[in-house]
Amino acid sequence: MILLLGLLVVVDCARAASPPGVLVIVQSLDDLVSLDPAEGFELSSIQTFTNVYQRLVQPDPEHPANLQGILAAGWQTDAGGRSLTFELRPDARFASGNPLRPEDVIFSLSRAVKLNRAPVFILNELGWNAGNVDGHLFKVDAHHVRITWGAAVGPALALNILTAPVASVLDERDVRAHAVGEDVGNAWLRAHSAGSGPFRIRRYVAHEALVLDANATAPGGGPRLQTIVVKNVADAATRRLLVAVGDADIARDLGPDQIAALGSNPDVRTLAFPSAKIDYLMFNSANVGNSALRNPALWEAARWLIDYDGIASQLLRGEYFVHQAFLADGFPGALEATPYHLDVAKARAILAAAGIQPGLRIALDVYNQPPYGEIAQSLQASFAQAGISLEIVPEPGGELYSKIRERSEQAAWLYWVPDYYDANSTASAFAQNREDGTKTLAWRAGWHIPAMTAATAAAATEVDMAARREDYLAIQREVQQNSPFVIAFQARNEVVVRKSVQGYREGLDGDMVYYDRISK
Amino acid sequence: MNRRLAQPAATLARGLLTTVTTLACLLLVTFALTSLSPIDPALRALGDRASESSYAEMRHRMGLDAPWPQRFVHYAGNLLRGDLGVSESTGQPVAADLRHVFPATLELATLAMLVSTVLGVALGLVSAWRPRGLIDGVVRIVSLLGSSLPAFWLGLIVLYFFYARLHWAGGPGRLDDAYEYTLDLDSGFVLLDTWRSGVPGAFANAWAHLGLPVLVLAAYAIGQVTRMTRAALLGEASKEYVTLARAKGAGSLRILLHHLLPNTRGLIITVLALTYASLLEGAVLVETVFAWPGIGRYLTNALFAADTAAIVGATLVIGCSFVVINGLTDALVRTLDPRLR
Repeated sequence: MILLLGLLVVVDCARAASPPGVLVIVQSLDDLVSLDPAEGFELSSIQTFTNVYQRLVQPDPEHPANLQGILAAGWQTDAGGRSLTFELRPDARFASGNPLRPEDVIFSLSRAVKLNRAPVFILNELGWNAGNVDGHLFKVDAHHVRITWGAAVGPALALNILTAPVASVLDERDVRAHAVGEDVGNAWLRAHSAGSGPFRIRRYVAHEALVLDANATAPGGGPRLQTIVVKNVADAATRRLLVAVGDADIARDLGPDQIAALGSNPDVRTLAFPSAKIDYLMFNSANVGNSALRNPALWEAARWLIDYDGIASQLLRGEYFVHQAFLADGFPGALEATPYHLDVAKARAILAAAGIQPGLRIALDVYNQPPYGEIAQSLQASFAQAGISLEIVPEPGGELYSKIRERSEQAAWLYWVPDYYDANSTASAFAQNREDGTKTLAWRAGWHIPAMTAATAAAATEVDMAARREDYLAIQREVQQNSPFVIAFQARNEVVVRKSVQGYREGLDGDMVYYDRISK
Repeated sequence: MNRRLAQPAATLARGLLTTVTTLACLLLVTFALTSLSPIDPALRALGDRASESSYAEMRHRMGLDAPWPQRFVHYAGNLLRGDLGVSESTGQPVAADLRHVFPATLELATLAMLVSTVLGVALGLVSAWRPRGLIDGVVRIVSLLGSSLPAFWLGLIVLYFFYARLHWAGGPGRLDDAYEYTLDLDSGFVLLDTWRSGVPGAFANAWAHLGLPVLVLAAYAIGQVTRMTRAALLGEASKEYVTLARAKGAGSLRILLHHLLPNTRGLIITVLALTYASLLEGAVLVETVFAWPGIGRYLTNALFAADTAAIVGATLVIGCSFVVINGLTDALVRTLDPRLR
């Protein structure tokens, strides 16, 4: 393997072989289960939704804190702050040619709630469920739709919830034409599209490829390229060869070794985009088998036992940077302070003062995918210096999710990606434990926080944006200093593109990948 | 019934009964093991943030709220009606998925098997002709390397040299993008489909993409076939009839081709059949490195997703392949070896 890596460093392939007018992207598509916006919740799915469907409002790709009307020409908050009225773009049409109607908006939102698949919990935050959603969606006239909600959610948050991919607007008439039985088009939409975005799905072959064709009539303008081919190439080394040779124009999900080796290739360049993904260590204080897990001294000591700089700069060169608060840099109200660093002596003193003796054993569950194994090994080494023995338990996602949901693990290294561009998406997970059966991250960690739960709920309804930012800063400080979560890193997405490729953009959230401005 | 007809009929009936019992046991064990997996298929499908109501509904839709024996009976009932279920990891019917992925593996494995049969038997003969000589030493080293080099490593090396540097071969995937999304690959066999399409250059392009994965897959099989052929021939060479032939003045080449090879062909055919069956299981690493959409990758993805319908469907196809290959091998060996008739 070393020989291979050495050879590949000098890769010298100037042949550009991807067809003209066609952009070839190589990445893993193995996570993709469904291309129905009411069902798909994996990265590959939601990134496709951004290019195939449109929502009433979406974050500006360049300045995501600013909302743009996409299918909405404008909107206004109604008295009482529990409803919004949207004016639809009068010229908007779906790729099928059908004009956009209020009925399409109502159908799409109602359908997503009633199908009740993975991403529906985002819309559930508005208090919608299968029984009441139809009572919250109204056609005002041929160009206006009113949306109301019953949950304690401010209009700013409601708008941000409607930017989530699950709120994509579908062409009702096209979908109904392909419905089978009671599935409201679900089986058909798993591999086809009925949207108004800059692209439409020409063909999807599971685990193989997704082919998108331009939709020249997209509201907001058609894309620059006629066809995008997203190919599933599971092996990162193969992806690297493809982009180096020129058979692929863009390679995603390459590891630090692959990126470094391509650094000397004059035909490609590496783009780096900050991502809202954060990595954190979670202690499960609800685990009755290990009483140390609910000792705040252990949480405090752990904050001084992570080699933040070593992991970010040496182990994962460029893929992560140190970030110690739950709101990612780039989100309004993100706490930028990074007060913790590796200090074994300090950690030992904290543990000794709390009476935690050397020899403590903790099982640490991690995903069995890179880079989590490497991170876990670094933790194991640094925790060992303070007398804490971490037993690494690598496992596939499905198994890890089960354990955490049952709260049977002791500690886990996990990651978090916000579901929509609003602080509440993350704050309600880390800083809210309603003790009502909602399995937030705070509940999973067994962290009982009635005051912070109330403060987080209040921040969600705050109308004054400056006050709302201050609320979240205070909540982040508390979580950073005194919680069973040790937030350590924020990810950076690195993408290798051929020199001829221009206009590729990615945003902070997982779905923010834009193909419409790309040219080559 | 005529006695001459009754015996083959009984043999056929026994064979069918054995086949059905084998496949039923295979289904039961696969289903049970998948059900006992610690991976929660509902959570794998939904992710860890799904609401309780979505989770409960998904478990119900997947039938996970029933005990696994009950689910097995339900699955077996559907199977008898030809319904393999829907894959949770692709969102498509398993039968449609298998119609797509199995031909890809079958085509790759068959070509690799043809190459390894010709080269493996030839190298085995050359090696056994002058055992412990220079040629034998070289062949043994080559065959050892072929069967011990990791497939993903060899795959990346040949891709680097023959695709990236020399441009002698097609890259990963079954066709160049110019053909891949304009041709209908109806049968799933890329050579057949490109030949039928009549599109200039498509057939040659398919060959260009097949070359490297076939060679990498064959490298492993050649090693196996060479070593087993050599061992069989040398084992046979110590028997008395060989000594007699030699005493009567037969040359070593004549002994090898006219005495040893015919007497070991049953064993060699069995080795070839077992090698072919193992290639049909799907060479996961070769399929991964060459982005080849075969049954090996399909099954691996399904295993990580605890996708029961896909796992059992793919296992059934592989199990049937084993049964068919074993049956054909038995029949061929019986036909060729008079001692077994």
